Amino acid sequence: MFSNIFKTAGAATVAAFGFASHALAVDLEFYFPVAVGGAAADTIEHLTAEYVAANPGVNIEAIYAGSYSDAGQKALTAARGGNPPQISVLLSTQMFTLIDEDVIVPFDDFVSEEDKVSWIGGFYPSFMENSQTGGKTYGIPFQRSTPVLYWNKAAFAEAGLNPDVAPANWDEMVEFAMKLTKKDANGDVTQWGVRIPSAGFPYWLFQGLSTPAGAILANADGNKVNFNGPKVVEALEYLVALSADHGVMQPGSIEWGTTPKAFFEGETAMMWTTTGNLTNVRNNAPFDFGVAMLPAKERRGAPTGGGNFYLFKDSSDEQKQAAVDFVKWITAPEQAAVWSIATGYVAPSPAAWETEEMKAYTADFPPALVARDQLEFAVAELSTYENGKVTQAFNDALAAAIAGETSAKEALDEAQAKAERILKPYQ
Amino acid sequence: MFRPTLTLNYDRVLNTLAAWLLALFWLLPLAYAGWTAFHPAEYETRFVPFAPLTLENFAQAWSEAPFARYFLNTMILVTGILAAQFTLCTLAAFSFARFTFPGRNILFALVLIQLLVMPDILIVENYQTMRRLDLIDTIAAIGLPYVASAFGIFLLRQTFMTIPKELDEAARIEGCSYLGILWRVYIPLAKPTFLAYGLVSVSHHWNNFVWPLIITNSVETRPLTVGLSIFAVTDAGIQWSVINAATLMTSGPLLIAFLLFQRQFVQSFMRAGIK
Repeated sequence: MFSNIFKTAGAATVAAFGFASHALAVDLEFYFPVAVGGAAADTIEHLTAEYVAANPGVNIEAIYAGSYSDAGQKALTAARGGNPPQISVLLSTQMFTLIDEDVIVPFDDFVSEEDKVSWIGGFYPSFMENSQTGGKTYGIPFQRSTPVLYWNKAAFAEAGLNPDVAPANWDEMVEFAMKLTKKDANGDVTQWGVRIPSAGFPYWLFQGLSTPAGAILANADGNKVNFNGPKVVEALEYLVALSADHGVMQPGSIEWGTTPKAFFEGETAMMWTTTGNLTNVRNNAPFDFGVAMLPAKERRGAPTGGGNFYLFKDSSDEQKQAAVDFVKWITAPEQAAVWSIATGYVAPSPAAWETEEMKAYTADFPPALVARDQLEFAVAELSTYENGKVTQAFNDALAAAIAGETSAKEALDEAQAKAERILKPYQ
Repeated sequence: MFRPTLTLNYDRVLNTLAAWLLALFWLLPLAYAGWTAFHPAEYETRFVPFAPLTLENFAQAWSEAPFARYFLNTMILVTGILAAQFTLCTLAAFSFARFTFPGRNILFALVLIQLLVMPDILIVENYQTMRRLDLIDTIAAIGLPYVASAFGIFLLRQTFMTIPKELDEAARIEGCSYLGILWRVYIPLAKPTFLAYGLVSVSHHWNNFVWPLIITNSVETRPLTVGLSIFAVTDAGIQWSVINAATLMTSGPLLIAFLLFQRQFVQSFMRAGIK
């Protein structure tokens, strides 16, 4: 009996104490996805711990949330279930979906006018294209990437090409790739000229073709698409012709995950893939390799990709302010440099590239600069309202054309019609 | 005299051959996982009989996530779910099988309807329930939605129905209580079903990923599959050797348990009629 009373009293004290510390510190939950391996999770956790140690007023729990799609599902479920995180890193292309679901708020209300210029204004404009809409900032760029071309210098030399020069435009890429494609006595290809992975989400690398061709796939409001303009058709015809007419790329759908491996094993002399692979290629390629911007057509161009910070709606103003302060700190040049070097993601602001760490890193490893330089020509990754459905319609069209089932024009016309139907309510 | 033995042998040879072929196909992915896991990454797509063996992939996989804790969590999770499912499903199945009460058929139909509902569409609903119970980020929250298993109730009810009523009546004449009959007559006779259902349940929850990932946040509560997911990354290229090492490591206990109890499992599956 007495022991029971003591226990209750003890529990009450603990509860009271718990509340007391609650009032002192702001508790935040922060979901992050990982797309580049376990080391990235450690880096995020270390950075968060460092911030919490320096700021006794906040307590941030950094929560690993799986892949990008897992993290999106986890954050949306938690938000619908009434228990959202305060901040989360999610795909930049999810912006319209999150707005539509009414689970995020813009950063603007928690940022001073001065910071709007110095902090939000300090990021590369091409990264902000996927982060702002209707004059408000919903995303802060963090783990961002862009696709680049990797080439095998040894294979270039063997084919009689200058090993230090990458193809600068579409015609050169075909011309180089033809020289680089090797066949054995049976006529089977032992080394392809180029490899542009297309399985799963072909639209992203396809934007590396449609952008140079001069097409922009979606408007900034996310409610109109241009899937079947003549330039988009031209880009898709070029992609299909690489296998069908020129025979320099493996026909059919090409896997993403195994693409670096195929490059290391000499199955392809050039590959297109994300800069997120830079560290992997640096560590594992058994030959000298080069990194270049994607080849140009009418202009240079590429999509951006990757994840942004989002601020969730259902929390107190105090929590939101603390969350914004944290995001401001972790995207500041010093932290962005640490993050970029550890993962291979593109540091999102010019100032980050001016830090001592970053200068030392790029001096030692100049290919890291290619992605940064390409940002000048980069455009938003395809993102609209009902993003999943619209992108799926486009992906299906690309896949059908790549598989040779329909012509580029027919497939894209169909995708355009589908997307217009889906987007009608948002226009 | 000579002929019959020949045809018999012919038939047997074909059968054995087919069995071996099927077994080989089944074994192939496992063999590939074993090969890549124990060899350096260069041998992922190359077969060299005397390639150097290594345990480094396992060391690397182990270091990428706190697997020791995840193992413990998964163990607690699957044993907890199994214990709760056995208790609940046995009692429910017993009452459906041996008692008549008003609304029994409607209730049983409701249980069967649960079999038709995809668990995935209930995720948000389950999340809200767990939040109201204040159970978010606990192992109990991962298991609770699965405890009242319609499949378990259905399976056990069907098994209990096949047990001769005479045994039941004999026990009752001897003065056995209902729970006594359940414990002394029904459960012992339904052992193969329990074993088979247990295996299905354990392997399902051992492999479950999306729900645990959503409902838990910390290392202390998350199961193995969440640890494993850190390897499923596409941006940096897939490292087959490390992935396979991690897969073997996390599915190892299940594989070993299955090999140890193989005979019992196969027999119980045949008797319980799960195929």
